[in-house]
Amino acid sequence: METILSGVFALMDRLLPFAFAEPAFMKRALLALLLTAPAAAALGVPLVQHRMAFFSDAIGHSAFTGVAIGVLLGVSPSWTMVGFGVLVAVAITLVKGRTELSSDTVIGVFFSTVVALGIAIISREKGLTRNLQAFLYGDPLAVTDAEILWMAALFLLVSAYLAFLYNRILLLGIHEGFARTKGVRPPAVEISFAVVVALVVTAAIHSVGILLVTALLVIPAAAARNVARGAASALWVSVGVAVLSGFAGIVASWYLDTATGATVVLAASACFAVTALYRVARPRE
Amino acid sequence: MNASEHFHTLEIRNLTVRKGGVEILSGIDADIRCGEVTALVGPNGAGKTTLLLAILGQVPYTGEIRFCRAAEHGQGAPRIGYVPQRLPLDQDAPITVLDFFALSAQRRPVFLGASRRTREAARESLERAGVAHLLRSPLGRLSGGELQRVLFALALRDAPDILLLDEPVSGVDVAGEELFCDFLSEVQRDSRFSLLLVSHDLSVVTRHADRVICLNRRLVCSGATTEVLTPENLAAMYGADAHLFRHSHADGHGHLHDDGGR
Repeated sequence: METILSGVFALMDRLLPFAFAEPAFMKRALLALLLTAPAAAALGVPLVQHRMAFFSDAIGHSAFTGVAIGVLLGVSPSWTMVGFGVLVAVAITLVKGRTELSSDTVIGVFFSTVVALGIAIISREKGLTRNLQAFLYGDPLAVTDAEILWMAALFLLVSAYLAFLYNRILLLGIHEGFARTKGVRPPAVEISFAVVVALVVTAAIHSVGILLVTALLVIPAAAARNVARGAASALWVSVGVAVLSGFAGIVASWYLDTATGATVVLAASACFAVTALYRVARPRE
Repeated sequence: MNASEHFHTLEIRNLTVRKGGVEILSGIDADIRCGEVTALVGPNGAGKTTLLLAILGQVPYTGEIRFCRAAEHGQGAPRIGYVPQRLPLDQDAPITVLDFFALSAQRRPVFLGASRRTREAARESLERAGVAHLLRSPLGRLSGGELQRVLFALALRDAPDILLLDEPVSGVDVAGEELFCDFLSEVQRDSRFSLLLVSHDLSVVTRHADRVICLNRRLVCSGATTEVLTPENLAAMYGADAHLFRHSHADGHGHLHDDGGR
């Protein structure tokens, strides 16, 4: 696994002969962002269509508890965060489908519960707070090789998942009853989508942190809505915004000496502002 | 009643749907025959949409819904087309009419573009519905009438045996409604599918439906349109104070007004 990554690093030296890309931690940060941000942005398009922004925020905040549990049990918090995130995603989806409560109410209940649980555990274990800092604000400069390989695997998984199920996810977002008549099975699609979102959210937390992780899913998709008319351009604009802001953010943070995750999100916000201006200026047909 | 063997039929026997301990539909018996337009009428909350969902297999029920395919049309499960009332879609949704067709027509993910077959099939059915120019329009920007036609075109693409229409003319103005109904009868005459439409609008029903099923949680009555839509049956369905009330539109467009009498 070391050899794969060192090959990639050598390639990056060739492609990016700049000062900012020289240190290994910067190469890792770039890889982390370029693997997770486009995956998050691609999932963001159907996520926005399904009005699930709050859902992804809840999964992001479940990482509080996931990390706390990891430290409590003495295992790596990076992985307990993933497991707990998936658990919460499945639980929310199952409960949502079995009650008359609106989905934002169900998510609100889970959201508060997991954050409260996380804070309770942290407050009991002194010294845990420092551990949480990196997850709260994100620190792509501290990403490990194992985490990068996981992100690469996830990138492939998300690509395959979307290639296979994108049409069904989108159709379900348009009209559930109609989608059913076209052979879409809503529970299977909803649960698998929730799990994939949870995997990507927990991976993206390394780059931008718990507080900002929803931005990576929502902002590129929102920017795409400003300019795209069709389903194909919506996805590609969203992915393009993610790649562009991931790259621009990391370079800017190097020269401005700002937090990388926050700078990336600001770059995405700038893309949104530009597309919004374009939309206002464009004559309405 | 036994249907002629030349027709597909949908036979509904003793259908009961319960939700949360309440019987939404109890003991419904009805037949829907191919080549005919059957209208489903009844007040709000009568269980009309629930009956459609039961036929689609989307709500659990007791009783029987049997599909009998006409002998000359071979064996197999029926193709049931469904035209929803409206799409809960925002104006900005980046989905064109063509994308919408592609979503249920091709394996290739829509972000890699519509296949040629999808595009041709879409154009053909849109043309049939008289809205070929909408192929590349965003779905969220269509007017009520345009959306109805697009949804109808999509349903026709898959050559249904039975087509279920939920409130096909809601959100459409009177002129558009007439156009749509004429178009509906025309297409339906040419094809051999049965049409089951839910409607509030009794002028549409009297003009276009061959048979009527009157529903108010149970079967009030069913039969030929002219025999069924009597004042007594309307009163049984909507309450004693309801009238078939004709507006002074030049076209004699009529609505049933429920005056709140129960």
